Amino acid sequence: MSKVVAQQAEEQEPEVDLIKADQVIDKYIDLPGNLMPVLQGVQDAYGYIPRIVADHVAERLNVYPSQIYGVLTFYAQFHLKPRGKFIIRVCVGTACHVQGAQRIKETFFNLLHIAHTETSADLRFTFEEVACLGACGMAPLAMVNDDTYGKMTVQKVDEIVAKYSAIPLD
Amino acid sequence: MVNLIIDDKQVTAPKDSTIYDAAKLNGIKIPILCHDKKLKPFGACRMCLVEVEQMKGRQIPACTTPITEGMIIRTATPEIIKARELVLELLLLNHPLDCPVCDKAGDCDLQNLTYDYKVDSNRFSDLKFQHEIDYNNPLIERDMNRCVLCGKCVRICDEIVSYGALTFIDRGIETKIGCEFEKKLDCEFCGSCISVCPVGSLLARPFKFKSRFWALTKHNSVCGYCGTGCNLTLGVKDNKVLTTVYDENQGFHKGQLCVRGRFGYQFINSDKRLTKPLIRKNGTLTESTWDEALELVAGRLKGGSAVAALATPRLTNEELVVFKKLLLDSVGTKNFDHAAGYAHAALTEGFARSFGTSASSASILDIQKSDLLLVIKTDSYETHPVVGFEVNMAVKNKGVKLSVLSDKRGKLSKLPHAQTLVHLPGSEVAVLNAIAKTIIDEKLVNTHAASVPGYAELEKALSAFSAEVVAAQCGLTAADIKKLATDYASAEKAMIIFPVGQAYTGHNADLASAVANLAILTGKYGKEGCGVLCLSEKNNSQGAVDMGFYAQNGGLNGLQILDACTDGTVKTLFVAGENPLTSYPNRSKVKKALEAVEFLIVTELFLTETAAMADVVLPVCSFAEKTGTFTSADRRVQYVKPAISKNSQLKTDFEVFSDLIVKLGGQSSSTPAVLFGEIAATTPGYTGMSHESLKSEGAFAAVSMKPAFVVPQATASVAAEAGKLALVTGSALYHSGTQSQYGEGPMHVCPEGYIELSRADASTYKIAENDLVTVSSAEGSMQLKAKVTPRMPVGVAFAPYHFTAAPINTIWSGAPVTLVSVAK
Repeated sequence: MSKVVAQQAEEQEPEVDLIKADQVIDKYIDLPGNLMPVLQGVQDAYGYIPRIVADHVAERLNVYPSQIYGVLTFYAQFHLKPRGKFIIRVCVGTACHVQGAQRIKETFFNLLHIAHTETSADLRFTFEEVACLGACGMAPLAMVNDDTYGKMTVQKVDEIVAKYSAIPLD
Repeated sequence: MVNLIIDDKQVTAPKDSTIYDAAKLNGIKIPILCHDKKLKPFGACRMCLVEVEQMKGRQIPACTTPITEGMIIRTATPEIIKARELVLELLLLNHPLDCPVCDKAGDCDLQNLTYDYKVDSNRFSDLKFQHEIDYNNPLIERDMNRCVLCGKCVRICDEIVSYGALTFIDRGIETKIGCEFEKKLDCEFCGSCISVCPVGSLLARPFKFKSRFWALTKHNSVCGYCGTGCNLTLGVKDNKVLTTVYDENQGFHKGQLCVRGRFGYQFINSDKRLTKPLIRKNGTLTESTWDEALELVAGRLKGGSAVAALATPRLTNEELVVFKKLLLDSVGTKNFDHAAGYAHAALTEGFARSFGTSASSASILDIQKSDLLLVIKTDSYETHPVVGFEVNMAVKNKGVKLSVLSDKRGKLSKLPHAQTLVHLPGSEVAVLNAIAKTIIDEKLVNTHAASVPGYAELEKALSAFSAEVVAAQCGLTAADIKKLATDYASAEKAMIIFPVGQAYTGHNADLASAVANLAILTGKYGKEGCGVLCLSEKNNSQGAVDMGFYAQNGGLNGLQILDACTDGTVKTLFVAGENPLTSYPNRSKVKKALEAVEFLIVTELFLTETAAMADVVLPVCSFAEKTGTFTSADRRVQYVKPAISKNSQLKTDFEVFSDLIVKLGGQSSSTPAVLFGEIAATTPGYTGMSHESLKSEGAFAAVSMKPAFVVPQATASVAAEAGKLALVTGSALYHSGTQSQYGEGPMHVCPEGYIELSRADASTYKIAENDLVTVSSAEGSMQLKAKVTPRMPVGVAFAPYHFTAAPINTIWSGAPVTLVSVAK
C-alpha cells in the first residue's frame, strides 16, 4: 500500500519552490567540483531531491541532467522521493541478526506498514534496514534520526512508535 | 620513443602510448571491448589484460597503462588467455544469446571475441536481465539486456558529442545505462552511441531486420548534406542504400556523423523519387520521354538571352561546370547563380576582397590545433554538427579556449569555460569592428599589419566603433568586448569560425571582411591553428564558388533573376535542384516570379513545390548514384562514385546538361573524369588533382592569399519594439536546406517548423510549449508551433527555414532581423 502512496507522491510532485535550491547553488556556484555539496545542500533543504530541482541544478551548474541522475542513484545518501520526518533504521547486521533483528523489523512493519526505504503516507516515518550501525554490543539496535535504541524488544518498538507518533508534524 | 619488449619482440613506441597503443603500432593484437581510440582510456572490461614482468607478472589492463622504458610485456600467456575466457564467461552469463535475431551479429565485438576465445560453455549460471527495451523513438533502439557496461555510449555522448544523454544508473550488479529519471531517450540522435556499441544494445531502428551485416556491400561516399564534407560508408543490398556503416578510420572525423549523415539517407531510395520526365500538357504535369522533354528544353534554350538559371550547390563540380558551359557557350547567358545569390557573398565578395581569394584561410583540421576559437553564432553547431564535434573535442580535450559571439545561446555556449557574448540581433559587424578598434588601440596589432593595403583607411573608419559606443548599442559591456579583443589578439594561435547560408543573410561580405580584418590585424592567418573558416552551407557550396557558378561580369544574381522573371526580361528559367519557393526569402515574390516566367525547367529528385510549378521536370540522381567531386567548406576536394546503380529511367545532371549541349550544337565532355581534368588545369588550387588521385582520399585545394583591409559596413542592431520580437532565421538542429525533409533522421528530431521564444517572452504573451501561435510581420503572417527555451534572450525569437509545410519566407523577406508580433 505504502509503495503505491510513494509512487503517487512521485507522480503528483508538489509545487516546489526553487528559491531554496538557488540559495544553495549561489553558495557553491564558484567552487570547483560543486555538484556533491550542492546536491547535499539541496537535499537538506527539501528533505529529498525533487526532479524539478535536479533539473534546475543541472541547468544552473551546466551539468548534464543524466550525470546528476547518475550521481543521485550511485550514492545511497540521496533520495528521490519525499522522506519521513523520522527515519527509523533497524540494524540487520550479523550481531543484531543473531539477537533477533528480524522480529524487530517485522514488528515495525506490522505497526507502520512500511518496508525497506518506504515512507508512510503522512510523511511521518521512513523505514530502512541497515547493515551495521557500529554498536554491536547493544544488539539488536534501532535508531530514529539521531537517537539510538539498544537491546531492542518488541515492546520497545511499540513505545518508540507511540513516542514519535505523538510529536506533531509541522 | 620508448624501447620495450612485447611478446619477445623488441619494439619502440612514442612515449605517451599505452601498452595497447604500443602493441597495435607494432602489429600485435590485444583484444578490447570497452576501449575506443577516440575516447579516453576507461579500463572497464578487462579483456585487454596483459602480463608485465616488472610488475611481478601481475595482470594489468593494456588500455590504461602507460609504457615505460624496458617494459617486458606478454600478451598471450596461458594465464592471460584463461583470464580473458573468464571475462567472456562472466559477460555471457547475463548477455542473452539471441544472436540469430540481433542486427549486430557479424559486426559484434562480443560475438567475435567469444568466437576467437572459443568460449563454448559456461561454468556459471545466473538469470538474464529483464530490462524494458526502449522503442520510444524511430531511430535508436536501446536494449539494456544485451549491455556489457563498457560505457562507450556514455563517454562518446559526453566527450565528443557533448550532449550527455546517457549515464550509468545505480551501482554494482544493478548498474545499467539510461537517461535521467529513467526517461525515454530524447536527444540529437546523432547515433554516435550506436556506432561505438560493441554489442547489440544500441541499434539503428531504420535498419532493423533489413539485412544481415555480412550481406551488405560497403561503398565509400561523401555526405550530401552540409559543407563539412564528412565521409560515409553506405551499406547497400539489392541496389538499395539500407544503412550507413561506421568506420572509425574514415575521414578527418574518424567516422563521426550527425543525425542527417547517419539517418538521413532514406531520400536516396525514397519511393517519392521522380522516375520519369514530366511535361506540362493542358495544365498538368504528365509523364513523358527523355527525347521529348530534352527536345522541348533545347528548343526553349536556343539563342536565349532571356534565359537564366539557378543551381543547387549540391551538384558535383563537374555538373556545375557542364551547366556553366551549357549556359555560357551554348545558350549564351551570364545570368546564373546559386544559393539565392547572397549566401555565397562572404566568400565571393568578402574573402575575395579581404584575402584575394574566395576561400577560407583555415581548415576544419585547424580547430583542434588552435589555442582560441572565436565562433560567430552558436548556430555553427546546428549547421555543421561534425564541426561542432571538433570544437567540443578541442575545448574539452585540448583545452582550447572558446569565445562565442552570438544573438542567442546554444550548445556551444554550454561547453566548459566558454565565454559567450550575447549581443542584440544584427550587430555582429559592429561588435567585430569594435574588437578590431580595441586591437588597434591596445597596440596589439601584428608588426606586418600596418603594411597591408587599406590599413590607414580602416583605422580611420573604425574611429566610430569604440568599445563603449558599440557596447551600448549592442547590449554588451565594453569590458566584455575588450576582453574578447585582448584574448583573441594575445592567443598564440586563434581561429574564427562562422556559418553562412540562405537563412543567414547577415553573414554577408561585410561580416566576412570584418572577421578577416581581425585575422589580418593580428597576423592570425596562413599558419596552423589560425585563420578564418567560413562554413558554407551545402555539400558543394565551396565547389560552386570555385567553379565560378555565380553571377559575374554583369550577369544577374539569384534574386535579380527572380525579379527579371517577374518583369518579363527573363522568359525561361532553368532551376537545377534548387527549391526557391521554400528556401529563398519572400515567398510571395518568389511565387510571383515563378508564375510570371514563361517557361520553367526543373531538374530534381522529388516533385518539390518548385518542381510542381514547372513546365518540364527532369528526374535526376542523388550523390549516391553519380560520379564526381565535391569540395567541402575547407576546400577538401573529395571523390564520389555510385554506391547504387541508378534507375535506368534517370539521368544524372551531368548527362542532362551534356545532352543539351549536344542538342544545341556544341561538343560535350565525355565523362566527369575527363571534365575534371579540365577543372584541375584551370581552377586555382586544383592543379594536379584527378579522379584517380582523389579515389583513396580527398585533397585540399591550396589557397593563396593576398590580404587587404576592407572597411565593412556595420548595420544597426535591432532592438525589439514594444509588443514585437526580433526574429532571426537560421538552420534548425540537423536540417540542411530543404533536402533533409526527405530524411527520416532529421525529420524525427525536428519534424516541423517552429518559433523559439525566451521563457520571459513566453510568459509575457502567455504562450506555452507547443502552442500554435500566429506570427505576423510586415510581409505576412503564419502559424508556427512555439518552443520555449532558456537559450533565447528576451525580445528575440528564432525560426528555422527548411520546411515546405511551414515556409518561414511567408513572413521573412530576407532581412537579417525581422520584427514580428506573436499571438496565440
